[in-house]
Amino acid sequence: MFQLRWIWKNMQGKRRFFVMGLILSVTTMSMMIIIPKLSQVLVDDVLKGGQTDKMFPVLLAMCGVQLLRTTLRYLMIICLEISSQHMIIRIRNHIFDNLVHQEIRFFDRNRTGDLITRVTGDIEYVRHTCAWIVYQFTDSVSVFVASIVFLATINLGLTLLMLSITPLIAVLSWRYIKRIRPIYAHLREKLSQLNTVAQENIAGYRVVRAFVREDYEIEKFSERSEQFRKANLTASYKWQFFSFVTNIISQSLTVIMILAGGLFIINGTLTYGELTAFSGLTWALSNPMRNFGVILNDLERFFASAEKVIEVYYAKPTIADRHDAVNISGNIKGKIEFKNVSFSYKKGQIVLDNVSFTIEPGETVAIMGPTGSGKTTIVNLLARLYDVDKGEILIDGINIRMYKLSTLRKSIGIAMQDVFLFSDTIDGNIAYGDPDMPEEDVFKYAQMAAADQFIRKMEESYNTIVGERGVGLSGGQRQRISLARALAVKPPILILDDTTSAVDMETEKYIQHQLNNNIDFDCTKIIIAQRISSVKNADKIMILENGKLDIGNHESLMRRNKYYREICELQNVPELEKVAFEA
Amino acid sequence: MARNKYDIDESLETPFDLSHLKRSLVYIKRYSKQMIAAFLLSVMASIISLLGPELTQKAIDIAIPNKDVSYLIWLSALIAGTIIISSLLGMVRGLIMAKVGQNIVYDIRSDLFEHLQKLPLAYYDSRPHGKILVRVVQYVNNVSDMLSNGIVDIIIELLNIIFISIFMFRMSPKLALVIVSGLPILVVIVFIIKPKQRKAWQQVSNKTSNLTAYICENIEGVKVTELFNRQEENKKIYKRLNQLLNKVWMKAIYVSNLVWFAVENISQWVIAIMYIVGIIFTAPAVSVGVVVAMGTYASRFWQPITNLANLYNRLINTIAYLERIFQTLDEPIDICDAPDAYDLPAINGDVEFKNVSFEYEPGIRVLNNVSFKVKAGQSVALVGPTGAGKTTIVNLLSRFYNVTEGQILVDGHDISKVTLKSLRSQMGIMLQDTFIFSGTIEDNIRYGRLNADFSEIEEAAKTVKAHDFIVETENGYQTQVNERGGRLSQGQKQLISFARTLLADPKILVLDEATSSIDAKTEQLLQLGINQLLKGRTSFIIAHRLSTIKKCDIIMFIDDGRIVESGTHEELMGKKGRYYELYTAQYDDNAVVKAVNA
Repeated sequence: MFQLRWIWKNMQGKRRFFVMGLILSVTTMSMMIIIPKLSQVLVDDVLKGGQTDKMFPVLLAMCGVQLLRTTLRYLMIICLEISSQHMIIRIRNHIFDNLVHQEIRFFDRNRTGDLITRVTGDIEYVRHTCAWIVYQFTDSVSVFVASIVFLATINLGLTLLMLSITPLIAVLSWRYIKRIRPIYAHLREKLSQLNTVAQENIAGYRVVRAFVREDYEIEKFSERSEQFRKANLTASYKWQFFSFVTNIISQSLTVIMILAGGLFIINGTLTYGELTAFSGLTWALSNPMRNFGVILNDLERFFASAEKVIEVYYAKPTIADRHDAVNISGNIKGKIEFKNVSFSYKKGQIVLDNVSFTIEPGETVAIMGPTGSGKTTIVNLLARLYDVDKGEILIDGINIRMYKLSTLRKSIGIAMQDVFLFSDTIDGNIAYGDPDMPEEDVFKYAQMAAADQFIRKMEESYNTIVGERGVGLSGGQRQRISLARALAVKPPILILDDTTSAVDMETEKYIQHQLNNNIDFDCTKIIIAQRISSVKNADKIMILENGKLDIGNHESLMRRNKYYREICELQNVPELEKVAFEA
Repeated sequence: MARNKYDIDESLETPFDLSHLKRSLVYIKRYSKQMIAAFLLSVMASIISLLGPELTQKAIDIAIPNKDVSYLIWLSALIAGTIIISSLLGMVRGLIMAKVGQNIVYDIRSDLFEHLQKLPLAYYDSRPHGKILVRVVQYVNNVSDMLSNGIVDIIIELLNIIFISIFMFRMSPKLALVIVSGLPILVVIVFIIKPKQRKAWQQVSNKTSNLTAYICENIEGVKVTELFNRQEENKKIYKRLNQLLNKVWMKAIYVSNLVWFAVENISQWVIAIMYIVGIIFTAPAVSVGVVVAMGTYASRFWQPITNLANLYNRLINTIAYLERIFQTLDEPIDICDAPDAYDLPAINGDVEFKNVSFEYEPGIRVLNNVSFKVKAGQSVALVGPTGAGKTTIVNLLSRFYNVTEGQILVDGHDISKVTLKSLRSQMGIMLQDTFIFSGTIEDNIRYGRLNADFSEIEEAAKTVKAHDFIVETENGYQTQVNERGGRLSQGQKQLISFARTLLADPKILVLDEATSSIDAKTEQLLQLGINQLLKGRTSFIIAHRLSTIKKCDIIMFIDDGRIVESGTHEELMGKKGRYYELYTAQYDDNAVVKAVNA
């Protein structure tokens, strides 16, 4: 079983605890037989036989054995918990590691709610299996085997007769497994859907309120909740029926024992004492049989979940460091070249079509274009959030695929359009790129991004915790924090993706001034913007339309690019037209 | 502002109490019939299974010595019968309880979710979303078994203890006393352990919630993490959270397992003492047979106690989750319909703010004594620096928050006196934050009006110029989209969100930076649509691109929570005040351009 090997692999380092736990499980189960034996001595020898001098030793032995057994049992639980916790921590860490290195396409494919289900509910089942089911299994097996051996020495024939029902159990279990497997897979899918609806409702709560869709959301959620309930019930009903059958079969051992044993005695092949021994140990055969059902059921559930966990565990990002990645000493200068780059998010829908351009170090380049034309895509490709379909991208003359991802991304600072802030302090958010950043730097870049003033007005200033995604801040405030965050890593390539769209004009002007004059590190700047005022001073302006680029400067584009001219006319104004005419 | 982040435990004021359990009775009570039935079935099953040993005894004592094969077969058949009947009863109980357990979970979850839909925005703003999610799904799942099977089992075990005690005391009160004497010791131990055990499980629920919150946030913000190369640092944080969970988990395990350990040892000692007393002190008054029988009773007395100890552990664990659920259910709903709230009749769209003041946090005024009147059909632009209070004004109008002082009237109705639903359903609010639900583009637009037919959806998309890009996607309106995915650009999300608002056909329209990410040209085209749209509606527009608001009937310049200026574009330009300054800022830039060209 691959899943079991995977668990074993992750237990590395604490396997001895696991093995110890299993040994203790077998030991303590065997010790279970000692106390009844001692009671028997007590009853037969002390009470009925009158050997009172034996009383204290026997009683002490009973208490001693019990103390020893429970202590060992306690240790067993601790051992299994230590090893299963170790395993689950490793798996969790590994998955987290894997998730944060996963390429963006992976997240395009997987619903947040589903990923959350995998790292919560599914992982919990894996843990449960190792901490609990495992010793249920060893417990049952050891009791079962021990009593078979014991009974076989007494009377092989009767033992075999009693065991004759095991194939029946095996066949039924086999059939049950086959039936319950898809049911558990379905159940966990329903859990994932429930998580998804709840997660989206919580994430989109403002929209829900704005559209008064509470009732609709409740209805949607109830539907999922109901489906989850039903899936649970289907599984439960199947399980109850299976457990009913195994119950009957395992308990029928008593019937076999009494009927066959009785006939054996009548035939003279069995004594009363022997039958008593059988009768006293029937539970040791029937309980494990019943437990096997429970274990099997839990195992099936485990497999359904483990499969989903393993998928994320082994999901390999296709965007990763090459083993022959170059080591760059010193800073990147910031020369950017796109050579015949084509890209599409979905086959057949080309976003960039054979795009080429060069940006020299230190230049400021502006990108404009209609909504959805692929402006952000250029940034995504440069930072290798996605890889190009055709062509290549070079930085300082080296294909970006040859860089280590960390080197590449360290040299690019992006203030994204879709601002995401973490539920952390403002200070922590600005210093996101470098947790050891000195406070002065945080302040300095916050000032540059025109954020310092409003931050200091807040109750706890830079230590104010912002909500997830930056809720509680206005759009403009969020953008400014995001800008400070990008500046603070002092990147050789600075990208501003529509960073000031929600900022008021005055502040925008201030920010532009800061960016033009006060940046205290060398950088190539790429500015994506909608407003002419933000782009017209750039060294180059690139107009991206229908996957194609037109590169020029303000004047040349005014002359030849229809889109650019129209925007100028729309946004500003007679004066600009005059400028155009004059030119 | 937020109060909580991933590594802060959510404090819990309520001390341990069975009150949580008592409260869950509300949910259990609904199924009391089924619970009673399950209970009776269990009792019947155990009585019937008691017949088994009796019959076995008969077989050994009578049938076999007499070599009476037919009697033996008959007895065996009877035993088989008891097995089948008791298993059957067990199964029926199992089926009933499975349903009860799932129903209880469903009920709790529905209540929780419904309550969450009523909670104010501030609740969501102030904590990581993962912490809310974990309650709705995981925690509720965790309580199901205890509230159904657990309760019945506890009652059954208690009854077992009582029955066996009666038998014991009738047989030999003195020896019975010895056997029962272990109980006080156990109770003392349980009481010593309990606070620690309880704290440990509370911690486990806290740390689980932290861990979930952190991973949720990392999934949602993965782009930023990758771009800023933060993986290693975040891994460290996650590892630390993981370790913390591990630590409290192990603590909970260490402490909780002491309970059964204590029970099993105490019972053994008590039984030993019982034998000593029975053999030495009470003999010959107490016969050997009685002592032997008492020995059997003693183990039968302590077995249910061991079971109870395990149930107790689970109970403590369950309560740690239950209290979180109830805590959320107790979260006050600040914004709800007044008791005598009435439905706002169909409105024309007059809006009046009367001396409105507002503070998010006590003492920190965001709006200060704001008053204005807007007639139905007028368009109002709110301009001013970021953080001046523009969004707050529209938030108050939509009653996302309640005013601290003053009144807001819509068509003369105080909005705090009408039902939320009737108010908001006549308003269309297009937020700064767009949100795309996973589903088709069509579904996302339809969110604005659930009963809209496709032609209306298409119409809305055309008006906001979203139609063109939608039909270019591979499945057109049926294309699957989601919030995080790279399929839609920010501008496209805004257009979809715009179409959604339009579809709602509101009397009062609020556009809060609705077009900030849309390119200038699309916006211009959109403007034509919007102008069409604004006819016959009162509208509030927040925008930083002044070109988009020039034609508004009223322009209000907001700063520091006050209306500094108000009037038409021409009036304000003539005033040469703040608005004039702001507006001319653009022209300065043009001057720069001129200079460059010259």
